[in-house]
Amino acid sequence: MNLANWARYGLAATLATAAGGVLIYRRQPHINHDAAPARSARHRRRFGDYRVTGASVTIRATPEQIRACWQGNARLWPALEYLPFPEGNQPDLLLPPSELRDMASRPLRTRIVAEREDELLAWRSEGEGQADMHGRLRFRDNGDKGTAVEVIMAVRPHHFASAWKTEAMMAEALELGLLRDLRRMKMLIETGEIATARMRPDAD
Amino acid sequence: MRAATFQGKGDIDVRQMPDPAIVNPRDCIIEVTSTAICGSDLHLYDGVIPGVEQDDILGHEFMGRVVATGKESTLKVGQRVVVPFTIFCGQCFHCSEQRYSNCDNSCPVEEQEIAEKAFGHPMAGMFGYSHLTGGYAGGQAEYVRIPYSDVVPLVVPEDIPDDRLLFLSDILPTGWMAALNADIEPGDTIAVWGCGPVGLFSILSAFRQKAGRVIAIDGVQGRLDMAEQLGAEPVNFHETDILDALKQMTGGIGPDAVIDAVGMEAHGLSVDNIADRVKQTVGIGQDRAHVLRQAIMACRKGGRVSVPGVYGGKADLFPLGAMMQKGLQLRTGQTHVRRYTAELLDLIERDVIDPSFLISHRLPLDEAATGYRNFRDHQDEWIKVVLHP
Repeated sequence: MNLANWARYGLAATLATAAGGVLIYRRQPHINHDAAPARSARHRRRFGDYRVTGASVTIRATPEQIRACWQGNARLWPALEYLPFPEGNQPDLLLPPSELRDMASRPLRTRIVAEREDELLAWRSEGEGQADMHGRLRFRDNGDKGTAVEVIMAVRPHHFASAWKTEAMMAEALELGLLRDLRRMKMLIETGEIATARMRPDAD
Repeated sequence: MRAATFQGKGDIDVRQMPDPAIVNPRDCIIEVTSTAICGSDLHLYDGVIPGVEQDDILGHEFMGRVVATGKESTLKVGQRVVVPFTIFCGQCFHCSEQRYSNCDNSCPVEEQEIAEKAFGHPMAGMFGYSHLTGGYAGGQAEYVRIPYSDVVPLVVPEDIPDDRLLFLSDILPTGWMAALNADIEPGDTIAVWGCGPVGLFSILSAFRQKAGRVIAIDGVQGRLDMAEQLGAEPVNFHETDILDALKQMTGGIGPDAVIDAVGMEAHGLSVDNIADRVKQTVGIGQDRAHVLRQAIMACRKGGRVSVPGVYGGKADLFPLGAMMQKGLQLRTGQTHVRRYTAELLDLIERDVIDPSFLISHRLPLDEAATGYRNFRDHQDEWIKVVLHP
């Protein structure tokens, strides 16, 4: 076989492969990006400018007790990594914990923007134009298991990260951190303490 | 303090470690008077359970005296306690249903992620049993910090010796729960794989729960002899085709319930077990599930499968078809120790059972390495090792 034939067969094989690819692609079921809850979406976890992430736990307590712990238990606050918590003297102002502060490229101040008793509490970061961060804490009755607590945070990557990959890594860290925060809050409310395997108070 | 520490696969060393102190308000500290090496400690010793780090203090069967209490502990200094191996908070949803080994809160948050990835959910904390279960220091030591001491430890009477009480910490309730999970009807025939400590207590418990016959399967004659002394009918798997024997012994029906008291390190030279061992050795498999496969195949139609044996990963060639087609029920789990301790303590106090028959060797803590090695390598004589700090 000479060079011209090689080229001809190569071109034919390439075209056939491309046609097959198109055919397979077209036979794929249509993906409905809105079919899954925001945090569970398999194909897309970015909505507009925002990356959405969150976590949920069930706590054996009433929404008032959970909120009271979040707002008033000073033992909880140093243990938080990403979940903003209320600032003492201004009831609508939230402080971002250290990990969340480190993630932002400029100082973050978040303020409570909506409250529905025993159901929802929402906040957004302050600043001009679009907010860098929206968040909400939602309470739902989970029968005899307690109250389901869900935190959802939507962050606009512009101020959180410069590259898509870094943004994905940060979103992952944020999701894990929020889950850890909710679990620490659950421990504190249900047991009065945060579990640790340390052998001594001064141990790492 | 001195403590038996993990230094690598097959390497236990008694070292000087920092004394524990009260960290949380519900804590107490106990001075250990007796501690045992468990069959499941051998999974750590053999390196088949992940998440064990150098200098981790091992041991989850122990008892002792309270020497310090946190401000919310209900114990008093000087009280004598047996400590269940599963750590639980007493307040979460699972604890409220007495599923203590499913406690949501006892595993530190920062240790939960590996188990959650491996099993779908994080596990409860356990003493001395890898960082998958919290990384808590274990009881093969002079002192131990006990979290949630207002609910976890069992206060025991002064007049009963350690030897009779120690196994309330794990293997006696584990055998008891294994029999309960077999859902025994009076007169039932139960087959128990493994005549180690948990298997022997499963046999004892099955008879207490009104089993008519118990068939004990093992490959170590000394252990089969102990099973026979408890009233079981011994079958040595080195000499017997187990499936055939069980059918013959039950008139072709099969045992009403089967108990796998072996877990992830099955012995024997069957083809599937050799394949499992190769996969375990090269790191592409974790469980040698030969016994579970065989137990499922042996169980009668509509029977029950109880699994107290520890598994930690995934098993292939799992006879799911047999499970489904025969309509079997499978029940398993880490033991909810504290759910059963009051009932079992009562049986011990009334001399109905005396678990100390199991103890074959007593050693000082400093000889823990010898205890581990012989417990693994000489199973015919080293049935149960108790260490004294």
